[in-house]
Amino acid sequence: MTELLIHDTHSMGGREVMKRSWRKRLTIGICLMMSIAALGGCSGGNGSTGEAGGDGPTPISIWMSMNTNASITLKSMNEITAIKEWEKKTNTKIEFQHPAVGAETEQFNVMIASNQLPDAMFVNGDYAKLFNDGIIIRLNELIDEYAPNLKKILEENPEVAKQLKADNGDIYAIPHLRLGEYKTFGGTFIRQDWLDELKLEKPETLEEWETVLKAFKEKKGVAAPLLFGAPPKMTTMGPAAPTYLEAYGITNNTFMKDGKVVYGPIEPEYKEFLTMFHRWYQEGLIDPDFATNDQKTYDAKILSSQAGAFFTFIGGGVGRYLPALQETDPNANLTATQYPVLNKGDEPLFTGRSWEWSSSGVVLTNSNKHPEETVKALDYFFSEEGHMLKNFGVEGLTYTMKDDYPTYTDEILKNPDGLSVAQAMAKHFIANYPFVGEDDDRYNEQYYQLQQQKDAAVLFSKYSENTLKVGLPPTSLTTEESTEYSKIMSDIGTYRDEMFVKFVIGVEPIENFDKFVDQINKFNVKRAIEIQQAALDRYNAR
Amino acid sequence: MKELSHKFSLLWLNYKKNKAIYWMALPVVLYFLVFKYLPMYGAIIAFKDYSVGKGIWGSDWVGLQHFRDFFQSYYFWRILKNTLLLSFYQLLFGFPAPILLALLLNELRHEIFKRTVQTISYIPHFISIVVICGMIVDFSSRDGLFNTIIGYFGGQSSALLSDPANFRTIYTASSIWQELGFSSIIYLAALSGINPELYDAANVDGASRLRQVWHITLPGIIPMIMILLILRIGGLMEIGFEKIILLYNPNVYDTADVISTFVYRKGISESAEFSYTTAVGLFQSVINFALLIGANRLSKVISNTKLF
Repeated sequence: MTELLIHDTHSMGGREVMKRSWRKRLTIGICLMMSIAALGGCSGGNGSTGEAGGDGPTPISIWMSMNTNASITLKSMNEITAIKEWEKKTNTKIEFQHPAVGAETEQFNVMIASNQLPDAMFVNGDYAKLFNDGIIIRLNELIDEYAPNLKKILEENPEVAKQLKADNGDIYAIPHLRLGEYKTFGGTFIRQDWLDELKLEKPETLEEWETVLKAFKEKKGVAAPLLFGAPPKMTTMGPAAPTYLEAYGITNNTFMKDGKVVYGPIEPEYKEFLTMFHRWYQEGLIDPDFATNDQKTYDAKILSSQAGAFFTFIGGGVGRYLPALQETDPNANLTATQYPVLNKGDEPLFTGRSWEWSSSGVVLTNSNKHPEETVKALDYFFSEEGHMLKNFGVEGLTYTMKDDYPTYTDEILKNPDGLSVAQAMAKHFIANYPFVGEDDDRYNEQYYQLQQQKDAAVLFSKYSENTLKVGLPPTSLTTEESTEYSKIMSDIGTYRDEMFVKFVIGVEPIENFDKFVDQINKFNVKRAIEIQQAALDRYNAR
Repeated sequence: MKELSHKFSLLWLNYKKNKAIYWMALPVVLYFLVFKYLPMYGAIIAFKDYSVGKGIWGSDWVGLQHFRDFFQSYYFWRILKNTLLLSFYQLLFGFPAPILLALLLNELRHEIFKRTVQTISYIPHFISIVVICGMIVDFSSRDGLFNTIIGYFGGQSSALLSDPANFRTIYTASSIWQELGFSSIIYLAALSGINPELYDAANVDGASRLRQVWHITLPGIIPMIMILLILRIGGLMEIGFEKIILLYNPNVYDTADVISTFVYRKGISESAEFSYTTAVGLFQSVINFALLIGANRLSKVISNTKLF
């Protein structure tokens, strides 16, 4: 075959064609074009540093995944009004680099592996590992010298400083902080109009939930009385399933039980939960397609009134679903339900409360040539002025001061271009998703425009202090620990998620639960728990 | 030494004669150098504990640790089995299909009908795999086309792609559908090279159509079949990774998770175990290499055709 091909080309070359020089040139030209195109492929992707000519400030590149509320109107975060203002105030030039939506982790890992780093990155990551790998730098001295505003906040809030600092006292991130009242942003919402129609009370215990879901199934005939599967990562059980699991006082990962670290899925309560969920599945109370749901099908089921109850966020979720639902059915109504419990009168433990430090922040990479300027610029967001800019945007354009209360203008609340509140905010400033700086309660108070949203915020926060007793604080692992831990947990995670689906669907009978536990023990979950426990002890000793 | 310089001078003469050809080959050579040979350097991290800060060369050696981890891993047998089975089904059902189509088309005498069939059968090849998979996912959803058809015959509708039992069938059948027409072109080309006098002679001898196919057509394309078979066997472990990524979900990992998807998940999409996954990928390549050599030897023995 190869022989044949070579022979063939020979005879082509032997033809008179080559005598005509214009053809020859053309051929060579095409060859060159092709090779350039092929080589061009390698340099793409990381096109960053467009040097600012002349005396302009040196550009600082920041890698950050773009929030969907922003990407709906903007191509880059550089176009956000507050960012432009920030550049002016701090005399810097910021260049955002955004990974493709849906491929953030992949692109981050590839970027790290290839060591082609921007100046700074906004991440929610394993900071100690990044530091030990030499990717990012320690910020303590820089903060002491160039970030007076952040330094002041850390001094005034020792609890925040404790969370932010690694075991050895290192600080690696310029943080995103939530110091106000609002710390729970999502939960399970239910079709209140259906409850009213069927004369049912809002469910609190799992038993009541079962009754309500059954009524939805039988009397309303919906396909997914309880919808989950849950965006954004389909590989996990999703927030909705843990909500019901957490009614048993455990969760699907490591958590704290009486001050000790335990792993939820090997606790006996997990079996009870699986038994119940399997029954719900068989009776058609949960979405039969839960394992294949993505954001699109999730939305579709809610908006076509096929879902009776589902997990969503107060701001971006309800703010979008409720108006859309009411467009087709004016009676449609969504209200928040309390995190479920086992027995009437119990208080829920897990409420999705975030820590004061949300674990995300901007890190400076080793290739940053101007760390001082970067830290100085980022510290602006912790100043009085920067705080207002981050949370409310530009005075006159996006907010006005009414009785010392920054009130959003119609540009935000009743956007003339028909943008939702979340989208209008994202176009002008960075309040409704994590970014450097501190969230302002007054933003949340106005972000939640609908009464249902305001009620939800209060309801979800009611027991949020309980979560401090069970939730693991932002501990930090050493490099060796972190490598070992993530290796064990990634195997266990895959296995747990697969088995969860099998147990619920019934492919795997619940009698095999002990085998499931055995297998997780074989993966060496004990070692993973030990690592977390040691990290927790170190955290408590800080 | 003398012989070498002789060879070079021959090469130089050849170059002067066929300059444009050499230039035309340049991008291809560059492509292989840059994208296939250069990255091989990175494969050494399979034997190291790769840390980005220390770089490829500076990271610590760990020997065969990652290979040992992989062979002892809970998922080893599953992904190996899935990889081999999916490939095997593709080979078993996917390989003969285009030959069959080519033979059928070859027997057609009505030119316009033949052309139409050919064109229709290779259109799917030109549709992007992402679109193809989007269609498959849509068709096999609970209220999709396949379920409508199943329902028409009184069956229960179910989410076909969430059932591990269906994955291999869907995967193999759709691959055949997509590549059937296009793969048959090369056989049709080989068929047109068969001397028509052979058929005339067979006709005179009174051979039926089926006999002619068996004694003239098939032997005529056997070398082509063997070459393609060797290539296919060489790539046995290299199962279409994009397609699986686009079709699978955690429910069907049991039958759908293969080596390449495992590497993708552990390597960049879920965790970042660079060294470990490089070792796994390297393992796959070694097996592929062995299979290719084996198939080549075998083919030489059986039909005296070989690739190298």
